[in-house]
Amino acid sequence: MRSTIWLILLSVSTVVGFAQAGTAADNRNDSDFFENRVRPVLEKHCMECHSSATKIKGGLSLDSKKGWEDGGDSGPALIPGNPEESLILEAISWRNLDLQMPPKNKLPDRDRQALEEWVKRGAFDPRETAANSMPEKKPAMSVDAGRQFWSYKPLQMVAVPVAGNSSWPLNDIDHFVLAGLNSKGLVQAQDASSEVIVRRLSYVLTGLPPTEEQLQRSVGPATEETRQETARLVDELLESTAFAERFASHWLDITRFAESSGGGRTLLFKDAWRYRDYVVQSFSENRPLDQMIREHIAGDLMRASDHHDRERQIVASGFLAFGPTVYEEQDKQQLRYDVIDEQIDTIGKAFLGQTIGCSRCHDHKFDPIPQRDYYALAGIFASTRTLFNYTDNVARWVDTNLPLDDARESQFAEAETKVAALEKTLKQKKNELAKLKDVDSGVAFKSDQPIPITEIAGIALDDVDAKAIGNWKHSTHSPHYFGKGYIHDDGKDKGEKTLTFTPNLPNAGRYEVRFAYSGITGRSTRVPIHIFHAMGDSTVYIDQTKSPDIEGRFVSLGTYQFDKGTDNYVIVSNEGTSGYVVADAVQFLVQDQKESKQESPTQNHFAQELRSEIKKLESELSETKKLKDQRPIAMSVRDEQEIRDTEIRIRGEVHQLGPVVPRGFLSVVSDTQESLPADQSGRIELANWIVSNNNPLAARVMVNRVWSWVYGYGLVRSVDNFGTTGEAASHPELLDYLANRFQREGWDLRSLVREMVLARTWQLSVARQESDPDNIWLSHAHRRRLDAEQIRDAILTVGGNLDPAVGGPNIKGANSAASDSGDASSIEFGYRFEDTRRSLYTPAFRNNRLELFAIFDFGDINTSQGQRHSTTVAPQALYFMNHPFVIEQSLLAGSKAITSNESDDQRLAKAFMRSLGRLPTPAEKSACDELLRSVSAKAIQPEEGWSMIYQSLFGSVDFRYIH
Amino acid sequence: MYSNDNSRRQWLQRMGCGFGSLALAGLTSRESLSAPVGLPGTHHTPRAKRIIFLFMAGGVSQVDSFDWKPKLVEDDGRMLDFADARAIKRGGTGANRRVMKPLWDFKQRGESGLWASELFPNIATHMDKLCVIRSMQTEGVAHGPATLFLSTGATSFIRPSMGAWLLYGLGSENENLPGFVSIGPSLGNGGPRNFGSAFLPAVYQGTPVGRAGRPSSEMVFRNIALGRDKDLASRQFDLQQSLNKAQLHQQPGEQELEAVVNSYELAWRMQTRAPEVVDIERESAATLDAYGINQKSTDDFGRKCLMARQLSEAGVRFVQVNYNNNSSSNPAWDQHSNMPQHANHAAAVDKPIAALLADPEQRGLLDDTIIWWGGEFGRTPYAENNGTGRDHNPSGFTVWLAGGGFKAGYAHGATDEFGHYAVENKVHMHDLHATLLYQLGLNHERLTFRHAGRDYRLTDVYGEVVHDLFA
Repeated sequence: MRSTIWLILLSVSTVVGFAQAGTAADNRNDSDFFENRVRPVLEKHCMECHSSATKIKGGLSLDSKKGWEDGGDSGPALIPGNPEESLILEAISWRNLDLQMPPKNKLPDRDRQALEEWVKRGAFDPRETAANSMPEKKPAMSVDAGRQFWSYKPLQMVAVPVAGNSSWPLNDIDHFVLAGLNSKGLVQAQDASSEVIVRRLSYVLTGLPPTEEQLQRSVGPATEETRQETARLVDELLESTAFAERFASHWLDITRFAESSGGGRTLLFKDAWRYRDYVVQSFSENRPLDQMIREHIAGDLMRASDHHDRERQIVASGFLAFGPTVYEEQDKQQLRYDVIDEQIDTIGKAFLGQTIGCSRCHDHKFDPIPQRDYYALAGIFASTRTLFNYTDNVARWVDTNLPLDDARESQFAEAETKVAALEKTLKQKKNELAKLKDVDSGVAFKSDQPIPITEIAGIALDDVDAKAIGNWKHSTHSPHYFGKGYIHDDGKDKGEKTLTFTPNLPNAGRYEVRFAYSGITGRSTRVPIHIFHAMGDSTVYIDQTKSPDIEGRFVSLGTYQFDKGTDNYVIVSNEGTSGYVVADAVQFLVQDQKESKQESPTQNHFAQELRSEIKKLESELSETKKLKDQRPIAMSVRDEQEIRDTEIRIRGEVHQLGPVVPRGFLSVVSDTQESLPADQSGRIELANWIVSNNNPLAARVMVNRVWSWVYGYGLVRSVDNFGTTGEAASHPELLDYLANRFQREGWDLRSLVREMVLARTWQLSVARQESDPDNIWLSHAHRRRLDAEQIRDAILTVGGNLDPAVGGPNIKGANSAASDSGDASSIEFGYRFEDTRRSLYTPAFRNNRLELFAIFDFGDINTSQGQRHSTTVAPQALYFMNHPFVIEQSLLAGSKAITSNESDDQRLAKAFMRSLGRLPTPAEKSACDELLRSVSAKAIQPEEGWSMIYQSLFGSVDFRYIH
Repeated sequence: MYSNDNSRRQWLQRMGCGFGSLALAGLTSRESLSAPVGLPGTHHTPRAKRIIFLFMAGGVSQVDSFDWKPKLVEDDGRMLDFADARAIKRGGTGANRRVMKPLWDFKQRGESGLWASELFPNIATHMDKLCVIRSMQTEGVAHGPATLFLSTGATSFIRPSMGAWLLYGLGSENENLPGFVSIGPSLGNGGPRNFGSAFLPAVYQGTPVGRAGRPSSEMVFRNIALGRDKDLASRQFDLQQSLNKAQLHQQPGEQELEAVVNSYELAWRMQTRAPEVVDIERESAATLDAYGINQKSTDDFGRKCLMARQLSEAGVRFVQVNYNNNSSSNPAWDQHSNMPQHANHAAAVDKPIAALLADPEQRGLLDDTIIWWGGEFGRTPYAENNGTGRDHNPSGFTVWLAGGGFKAGYAHGATDEFGHYAVENKVHMHDLHATLLYQLGLNHERLTFRHAGRDYRLTDVYGEVVHDLFA
């Protein structure tokens, strides 16, 4: 993708054009000129990319008069007789760095002059239309045509097809499926066994293996009794927290949840866990999905009945902020529109099954989504603030204080006031001390006396340590300096002199940077100082006509994150200054571990008292700050102050503005474009439109997603794409029937899941029916591989090592790191994944993934994904053979196995029940027995043998698959 | 040969893309596991089979290395207006900056007379082998966007990396090794996205070996080292396969389950074969010496380069050797204030890279292997903030290529008189991607993948093959 910045540049020519009616002779001259000088240039240098016979880049063809008159995406290529406003001349002048044509090499002067002359003369062109015109491009599907496409049509009211008097169906789903099977003359598989159904239920509903107790139950479609038992088990599982956690995993996939940004510098999303907890809690409470979707898109704008509601809604809106943003993109408008694009794309995929992102640059090539619809939506998000500002070198997101009850609210307000007060007092006391020390020791901090540079705490650089550019003058005129003097720019050569201070920092971390200068008369009022730190560069201006406010010596340039070593710098410049620019020293003070230089003992009573007072104040300040930092905050968005519709971006280029379009939604599913409020972004209306009963997409998409989570594949297999390039539904009536009910019954996830698993269709065996090899007609159950989370959670469960803690923060060290600091990235980079909580809680870093997730197809954490791949590759086998996690968990399980007072047969039965949900077959038993025998013959510890059995069970086919 | 999507996919399913993915197809006999491999996925006759990319993270200064600009010496210290890319991105029109001359002396080298400075004295002796592109341009002024653009052709969209595209297009030559390896990648500046597969199937993603900023002893394939002592590991493996076969027996004819069993067989063989390929012990003392191994400043990068040569010889399609640290803010070559530090980095990479240029040639590897050297952008010819370093420059910089059918001792394109903007025969990063794919037999406009309703490609809607570079 290329971005374009339009510089306003004057055309090369200053001659005013002349366009007038020409005589015949003129015409002939013009014709000759065109044929001899212009046509060859166009053909040689332009038409490779701008001709209907080849390509029409930027929408511009130069193979006919009509071509350049119509122009391209940026308008007409030239205005006859008006060289100043002719884009083609600007382009060939190569003055605009972002509009240089031909792109690879500048035209020879002679050719450039020819085109200029041609435009000036009126651009005679005999080629009225293109000789060789390409067939018209097939237009994208129109909005009207789109309304006839199945996914955009209103939900159909469907009657349940009751097929004969078959006793096979258990519920409505089965009737639809049976009708389909009958119409194809297909026969369904047998019911699965009770054990298989229990294991399947447990993994699908909770993500965990079944308990031995659950495996004892008799379930399945066989009798009234087993059916009731199935329903009881299903209800137990649906009520469990494990269900909420399992379905939260699915949900986090479609909302591309992550705990760091990943793009470019990866920043830590240290409060993102609140959103994950929100999802788990919502599923625990069976919050209606339409309400959840509303909260995702407009939580911060919704009315709340109390502060708990408000908190939940703000946290949910963080969904809009979790994208893989490249925060250090330097063009902040580009960044802003990239963020908007990501939001539209994610919402489109997750809730509407639409690839709206395709319409950023042009009308959708396949679906009825014109570019103006994209920018109608973009207006809503351009009126939403997702980035804290549009100026920071490395941008950041918007944090919102979470509402608290009144008591806690005032507690934090107090803390804030107190911090400010303490900081002020502390500074005063320190200055007092500095003055006292003058009198006291006679060495340090005496005003109007030189102080050795070694007296400065932290890392100090004297003016002589700086690399000087230009002529800086040494001086000792004002005796108030460190080291052997100070330097100044002599008030000359403004903009040409710099001093570069390059510290050698022993450790990465946050440092306060201070700058020392002396004297105030004749100094500059606005001295620019550039600080290059780990998060980019910052420029601070200091007024040297004022006395430094820290101990009369220093001013603070701010606190920044720095990398270890010598890649950081402070540059003092005299650019744009008047008066003298003075520099004496630069000091770097480590934060957090406030190191202060040992001061020489003093007899002065006041000084001692002051010192202990300062110490007390400092510790009080740090305590209060700690309290203040505990204020709960959440990643979030808010509305912009200025609410406005936005312009179409030509070819998607941020700075190429087209016409403004009113904010709105996809026109293919909204008959009337209601106008959005002038004082709000319109996210509430957008959310309402998405979950409205008149919008068929969201209900269909959601029901289909749930179907895919429960059955393994969707009724529409392209779960994220309900556009014309997606797949059609195998059972469109069933989909609409369920979607209708889902809407009517209040977007109730749990009852939808219940209905799905209680269908006999779901309880079939995996025996493949040859007449339905891809199982389009649901003649049997899909065999599914456990996903990455299930594999890890199952290994931990079988070994008895799963930490059952639910929710809460989960990244070690995250709370003490500022999330926009390099500290936070180093937490991610150096992270050791050691906890044994459910995989849902494994830190979801974008750049440092748990290895198991990568190997077992977690997929791309950067984008919304409704369906994971499932591969079978050797690195998975290597993982089970050699990875320390597998070995360690096997050893733990092995050691536990032998502590019980059981026979080996009993132990083996237990190992198989726990890991595979069944007893060993004779072949399996004899293989295990043989191993145990050979191990004991070799005098190897018995737990070793059992650990090898557990490891082999973990690595086995039947462990890895849900049959 | 296989221009049609279906047959390409079928072929890929049959052949997989190395590193044990043959198991995907559920092959059972050893004969079919060692099926012949070649380049059946190409669109035209390839000139090269693989790439070694020496990634100089942070951005080497072109005007201090391969792009000689006498004007910088002439105007050293003068304040001039430049169209500074960062200033422009931030909404300005440019900046008044101090011209800074190269810190290293330039000379013409070899028969070709190509210019190179003393920054890389060893590489400079091989100028007659290099195809130097002096007119590079790219997108992104900060490291993150520019590095992602270099790797994936996009600054912010989630797109597959170039190595993943190659693997998707060509498959692998060696089933025991991954087809795409990134040696010592950084977690910063996009981290795994730089060798990720995005929406391409996961089998095409790059395999990281080691990590930036960590000792080279960590440069090993994951999970290859035995998890238990050898005797126990082999007993456990036997039990594993007995259980698997017993379970398979209960569900005959299920290809996916058979594939699991096969994946274990393949994994077992990889445990011995993969370490053999990168065994440093089988290299002569002279070779180790040439790569600077066991010499203080060059040991780390020398080992990486040698490993790259070994992997390439064994048929790995794309090996990226990262010269980097783990910093997002200051990748290795990022000398904003401290230009002389370029010398330390050069000292670490110069000798190993020169060895890589000499060694594969002796082994005939350079005939069909492309060595590609470069960073995510170059540096400005003027001082950043008028201080003592150089800022990022995506508008004009140098990369070079060697081997693989590229012209040798040849320089292409030019920057302006200061070495700031590319002005002649400009080569955009999209063009470089297209050109590299072309040499490997792939047409960048036809190497597409259907995702979310449309066809994607590495070069988006851009990119032109630079035929002038071909020998």
